[in-house]
Amino acid sequence: MSTLEVLNPVAQQRGALTAMAINPRPASLINKTLGLLWSGTHGGDVALKRAGELLQRRFANLSVNFYAGSGYPITPSIVKQAAKECDVVIGATAD
Amino acid sequence: MVEVEKMGKPAVPIVSGRFEEDAIASARAFAMPDLQFVIVPRIYRNLPHEACIQQTEAVIDDLVHVLTNRDDHKRLSTIETADRHRFEGSDRYDAVLRMNEDFIMRDWGDGFPLAPATREAVDELLQGTCLAPDHLVCDMPPGFGLATVEKIAINAAMAGAKPAHMPVIIAAVEALSKLGSHGGKSLLMSTSCHAPILVVNGPIVQELGLNPGSGLGPGRDNRINIVIGRAFSLCLRNIGYWYPGQMDMDTIGTTRKFVHCLAENEAMSPWEPYHVDKGFKRDENAISIFVTDGELDVQDQGNTTAEGLLKTIAYGCTFGTRSLGERHTSERLIFMPPDVARAVGSQGFGKRGAKAFIHFHANASLGKMIQYMPLEGEARVAANWKWLEKLSEQERLDITVPVLDSADRYDIVVIGADRAKTLVMPSGPSSVTVGIDAYR
Repeated sequence: MSTLEVLNPVAQQRGALTAMAINPRPASLINKTLGLLWSGTHGGDVALKRAGELLQRRFANLSVNFYAGSGYPITPSIVKQAAKECDVVIGATAD
Repeated sequence: MVEVEKMGKPAVPIVSGRFEEDAIASARAFAMPDLQFVIVPRIYRNLPHEACIQQTEAVIDDLVHVLTNRDDHKRLSTIETADRHRFEGSDRYDAVLRMNEDFIMRDWGDGFPLAPATREAVDELLQGTCLAPDHLVCDMPPGFGLATVEKIAINAAMAGAKPAHMPVIIAAVEALSKLGSHGGKSLLMSTSCHAPILVVNGPIVQELGLNPGSGLGPGRDNRINIVIGRAFSLCLRNIGYWYPGQMDMDTIGTTRKFVHCLAENEAMSPWEPYHVDKGFKRDENAISIFVTDGELDVQDQGNTTAEGLLKTIAYGCTFGTRSLGERHTSERLIFMPPDVARAVGSQGFGKRGAKAFIHFHANASLGKMIQYMPLEGEARVAANWKWLEKLSEQERLDITVPVLDSADRYDIVVIGADRAKTLVMPSGPSSVTVGIDAYR
């Protein structure tokens, strides 16, 4: 029998050292403000607006704000504005 | 979405199709490992309107759940953190085969046989650089793994590198991290086939035996080119987390992801070497990194004038698309063979003049270059291009524009053997050149 010992080629990620927990969720979206953050890709806006409509039907007094930048990808200032003005935010990602 | 969570608000992306693994890997890389998301079956971009609606309606309950549920959202990490791995075999060869099977199934390899990175092999490679093993070279994109000299050496050992190659490999890793837009993170993670390519300049080319001739391909003469490129590729994978299906989301893929390292054919060039253009001295060693997303063999069958040769290249540069964003940052990387470069140089063209001439002649139909993207409802169309929406398709086709923004968007590197066959590659962001000598 022969034993071969080799070193692990996989590095630790910076993200693992600085990892943050996600934020606590509200119990309900009633009287909340929902942000729809569009990354600018075709179809994503359609999806987000439909999701906003359906969530408004389900939760009373849910306000919906739609955010789109002037280009692609969405600018940091728009992201910051959405985070500031909304209680929760959804986006449509992946290309 | 990670950024929104970091600003204190719950954020949930609707993630399309095959991007689930990518979402998990990205959340981990960007320091929000428990980011919640919902999955729809298909990528929205090319779906008809009704299909976008239907697949969104189907996940509304999921969306409500992750926006309002207070359950423990912890996602277990699957990253292997053991420092060493042991393999038992009937003999050493059998153990090496078992190591290969295991590593390849973990996706830690490139599909080809890997050399075992034993402590001894890695220590030998570490002799090739003045840097300490725990020296942090950079956080390597796209997954921002900690690129210590030792991790680079481990991956270099698996590629079959020698100690003398280490300074080049280290410089290549550093160069990637300096590319625009967070080390080209978005391009590396794109569904298009963007891939890095490396070019070495300086006396080290001859010292190491890099091939500055027909250097882009397999074979004995390209052994060093291949090994250095492969070592970089394995670093990109295991340090940068550029794993297919996770942070490398190519639609079809490309052989250019077996990253190759080339060398400029300085001896056959009429001009200053590429690294001198970037501020280095001719006798210094440097490596440049480019990101390309295609290649075209631009053949010239008999032109002898500089103008004729350059017009052939200019036409070759016209393939590809044009951004309608606020900035059009596409570039062209031109690997110009000596038979073209010497003729052009001897007829009075400097490198800048050659680039200006190519830029002047590289024009194409705007309508054809933007055919890939419907203009209406597209955020990638900047305000200064909105007037195009009012034109007919034929009117757009009739507009001719330069394919790039300026002559500076062209890079010329003299590479290759005898024959006027230029290789043109769409490229960008702008290249980065890093010195090698500090790592020797």
